[in-house]
Amino acid sequence: MRVGISYDIQTTADWEAILSDIEAADTLGYDSFWVSESRENGSACSVPALFLTSAARRTRNIQLRIGGRTVVIHSAIRLAEEVAVLDLFSRGRAGIAFATSGAQSTVPGHVHETIEFVRSAWSADEIRYRGEHLRFPSHTSDDAPLGVSFPEWQGDYIPQWEWGPAMPDFLAITPKPYATAPPTYVDISEDTTLEWAANHGVSPFIGADMTTDRAVERMQQYRAVADAAGRSRYEVEAVLERRMGIGSESDDCTLGGSAHDLVCALREITSKASIAHFVWRRGNTEDGDLTQFAVDVHPLLQA
Amino acid sequence: MEFWTACNGLTKIRPMPSSLADYYDTWIQDVIRVEELGFDGINSPEHHFMYDGFIPSPIQALCAAAAVTSKIRLATGAMLLTLYDPLEAAELATTADVLSNGRISLGLGMGYRPMEFDAFGTAKKTRGARLTEGMEIMKLATSQDSFSFEGKHYQYKDVSISPRPVQQPLDLWFCGGTTTIGARRAGTAGLGYWLANSPFDATENIVREYRQFGREAGWREDQLRTAVFKDIFIGETMEEAKAMAQQMMEFFYDEHILGYGYLVDENAQNLYNPSKEHHLYKRFVNSLTCGTVEMVIEELKRYQDIGVDVIMIQSTQQELIADKILPELR
Repeated sequence: MRVGISYDIQTTADWEAILSDIEAADTLGYDSFWVSESRENGSACSVPALFLTSAARRTRNIQLRIGGRTVVIHSAIRLAEEVAVLDLFSRGRAGIAFATSGAQSTVPGHVHETIEFVRSAWSADEIRYRGEHLRFPSHTSDDAPLGVSFPEWQGDYIPQWEWGPAMPDFLAITPKPYATAPPTYVDISEDTTLEWAANHGVSPFIGADMTTDRAVERMQQYRAVADAAGRSRYEVEAVLERRMGIGSESDDCTLGGSAHDLVCALREITSKASIAHFVWRRGNTEDGDLTQFAVDVHPLLQA
Repeated sequence: MEFWTACNGLTKIRPMPSSLADYYDTWIQDVIRVEELGFDGINSPEHHFMYDGFIPSPIQALCAAAAVTSKIRLATGAMLLTLYDPLEAAELATTADVLSNGRISLGLGMGYRPMEFDAFGTAKKTRGARLTEGMEIMKLATSQDSFSFEGKHYQYKDVSISPRPVQQPLDLWFCGGTTTIGARRAGTAGLGYWLANSPFDATENIVREYRQFGREAGWREDQLRTAVFKDIFIGETMEEAKAMAQQMMEFFYDEHILGYGYLVDENAQNLYNPSKEHHLYKRFVNSLTCGTVEMVIEELKRYQDIGVDVIMIQSTQQELIADKILPELR
């Protein structure tokens, strides 16, 4: 079982403290650190990839996950590029979770097309994409096949520096990530996206604000659809974010109690909902003891 | 006078095969090294869809550098503003400004490669107007809690960005060309003007024009700053220095300048694969500063005398330049 951490970033004054916390978490063996795109208070981090690229140079092992990424104002090209560059600066530790369409005033298909495009951009060289919300390159005509398509071999090639002002029908997004395919997740709060992700092998993510019971139910639904589609469990990594605290009270969204209580709760959820990765959502750097959790809870999740 | 420098590693160079992750590590180590050498800034450029992995997100590289440095300015040279939503660009800049504790300098360019405009869905012919609007939006977004903007290409109503920058105002430059139109664009907007590699006489004229445009637009003299891309090659003799410059042309510039249409002719048309006898190619080669230590100092003092604030040098001979050149021009 993997365990990561995430934060409610409230003020820019917290940023340095959080970066120091990530260094500590990296040393303590936490598996991942997540920063979600947010614009609250004028102090939140709107570009998680930048925060994480900085963190990449201060850590060695911890996985770096962009959370809640929106697709409305960000070009799909730039989304593919930012993950690739983070992956290179961190030597294969990057991943990205996309927000629901409802969180950004668009339709689910826009999110789905972006994910499909980004994954293709990482894995293939020259591509073209035609969707309802996205065309790459922009001059791609209605004659192009839907989704991703690839050029046919013409018997020779012309290197880029001899193209002149030509605008090719297929282009490669570069650089490529360090890993073949950085982990990609999507929030499955919406039914349409749950169905789509389960059918397409995109990992499910549920954030800290959904009740635990509801989250378990959603993850079970995801698994049922994926099983029906013949998709294997090892293809994806189900991620559940929870507020947690040793010695704190439990509620609908928070796991509390003794270390033993926490271990039992996490193992129960894992068993019911096929969770592979818990993310501990921390209010700030004073919220709970990273070392105590690493010593008293983390090892027992697999013992 | 400040000295900024490039560092190798944000794009592969064909005669130096290695993994891109190793290149990035080298870049980080070089950034640490040039800070220790006393350089005032480093820069990160931007291009897309390049076979050599050219960095597409310059601010992201600067955030990696921010984590391992404490003093050196972190500059984009250039960030291709016309290929961004300006609000998105502003958030990239302010996020990096917070992570670097106020060390970001944004060199903003308009881009020139057709495949980049086509891929992003921006009509290249609109780039000038987009850049002008984009620069104004960057200033508004980074200096006000919320703002509205009604332009031909961009419209926003009561929008704000997060986070707020450390610097107030954010350090903004127009980056590109050595032209009257560039001088007018930067001077009128009250942005610094970051000029391309050019012969001294052309630089002197354009710097004068830029200051005139800036004054006419009501900007104070201290708000009008100039930087110059200036590749410097130092040898024991002029011949040795020119051989180094020639090597730089072959290893790097020839492909980027000739193959991708960097040079612009008198009709504002980009030149693709022109002859090396073409007068604009020769002009670029002649704009590279070659000579002995003494000759280079003498040449750079001419730039200092006309009020150039920043010399932006290439990624080679940094130790020598830090040791012999910088102390003479501080």
